[in-house]
Amino acid sequence: MRTLFAVLSFLLAASVAAEAHAMLDHATPLVGSTVPTAPHEVALTFTQNLEAAFSTIEVTDGGGSRVDQGKTQVSGNSMRIGLKALTPGTYKVHWHALSVDTHSTQGTFSFQVGGH
Amino acid sequence: MTDPLVYVRAIHFAATLLAAGAVYFVVLVLPRTEAETISTTRLRKWLAVIAWCSLAVCVVSGAFWLALNARSMSGQPLVELLPQGVIGTVLWQTEFGNAWLIRFAAAVLFAAAMPVLFTPKKPPLWIETATVILATVLTGGLAWAGHAIGASGVESVAHPTADVLHLIAAAAWLGALPLLGLLLGFAARGDVSLAAARIATIRFSMLGTASVATLLVSGIVNTWYLAGSVAALTDTSYGRLLLIKIALFLGMVAVAAVNRLYVTPRLLYDDSAPTAALTLRRNALVETFGGVAILLIIAKLGTMTPANHLGLHAGAVPADAAFVHIHSGEGMADVTINPGHTGVARASVRLWDEDFNPLNAKAMTFGVAPPDAPAKATNRPAAQDADGAWHIDNIELPQQGNWTVTVDITLGSGKHVLLDAPIVIDPAQ
Repeated sequence: MRTLFAVLSFLLAASVAAEAHAMLDHATPLVGSTVPTAPHEVALTFTQNLEAAFSTIEVTDGGGSRVDQGKTQVSGNSMRIGLKALTPGTYKVHWHALSVDTHSTQGTFSFQVGGH
Repeated sequence: MTDPLVYVRAIHFAATLLAAGAVYFVVLVLPRTEAETISTTRLRKWLAVIAWCSLAVCVVSGAFWLALNARSMSGQPLVELLPQGVIGTVLWQTEFGNAWLIRFAAAVLFAAAMPVLFTPKKPPLWIETATVILATVLTGGLAWAGHAIGASGVESVAHPTADVLHLIAAAAWLGALPLLGLLLGFAARGDVSLAAARIATIRFSMLGTASVATLLVSGIVNTWYLAGSVAALTDTSYGRLLLIKIALFLGMVAVAAVNRLYVTPRLLYDDSAPTAALTLRRNALVETFGGVAILLIIAKLGTMTPANHLGLHAGAVPADAAFVHIHSGEGMADVTINPGHTGVARASVRLWDEDFNPLNAKAMTFGVAPPDAPAKATNRPAAQDADGAWHIDNIELPQQGNWTVTVDITLGSGKHVLLDAPIVIDPAQ
């Protein structure tokens, strides 16, 4: 009984992130950041492994035009997309991730190129 | 409106567990001596009908599950799934689809073995073994349609292993339980010998004990990975449903313990055996109802999305920003102050409800108080961006240390939710 109580207490007191879906864990460029030089790609890492067939990144400029090279590369829990030559300005990244447990997540963030 | 996938999942789980449970019951529980085999001939016909029907429902509901998942993965309407080749892409290029192909192959071979398995004549051992393996693949493969996969490190092995064992144990107990009830009903009417009922009940009791132990241990592992904290269990819909499921499971274990300790021994005496058989049958039905309720909860849990929009982690924000996640039962906030050092900064706040859906807020006031001086707090109304985040510009942070941020949310209903937490502001770089 004491062992059972210890197990239950351990279970209840523990704190492990509940992450059954692909959540954005790391981004390059960072979410909301300003980078001095134009990046060549956007790379995103998630908390779950992704399905390549249904996971994508799109990057658009202030006018809404696509500035990515069109083909998202997915490997494990990361995906990346190459960028065209960016001029100073604000860019929006829209990602759609399908985790291997079949749940979709999506999100949008911006980054700036240049020093303003 | 409830997602149709919930119903499809519930039907598929029930059919799969029943089909596999029939195999486990016939191979591991039902006696095979010559006299007992004759006594159970009629029962075996019923078991064959149940196995065939549940396998057919399993295949049809599995096809619906595939179609609904393909629709949600691709965003294409159902009628476009085949013409656009989405079903093929899902089957061949996703882990869920690969699992479905393997499970479908197992179901076909399972069907081929059934005519031999359910006849009174004892089938060759290899047929029994192969069918048990096929039923186990059909059941355990369901783990690849749930939350157990996709992680990395130790969890990538421990969680699917626990889930596979959980599913197999559920089939061995929950799937075989109504069939034991059927056998006991036959025994109470004299259509199955009491000797056969005794052997089957004692064997099922051993199988049930092993299954409950497996369910308990694998359930703890699953709960650890899916919830992992008191807050997650009590503050989210997912956690609360999980608690109801655990309570139902414990209730079923209590009934099983009564069966094992008090009712089964009465089956051993001829004068009390018919009444004991009826009591066991009634209790098996009660446990089966509990099991059906658990299956409905599992069906719902698998479709719930703790984070179906942007899930932002501290690692994704700029390195020089300060970040804090504030969590309460009424709402959550991800607060980023950029830059996170003394000077002038911009705060960005994302609001979530308890299930990580965007919170329905109509206004938000953001406050920051310097270390040890809550009276000097600055409170400012926040503006909401098109993407749902709230922003406050030109926040003055004159000193480093442990500041306190306050997020005062006015919900769509007019109710206020107040969240606060410390946030560390570094010295200027």
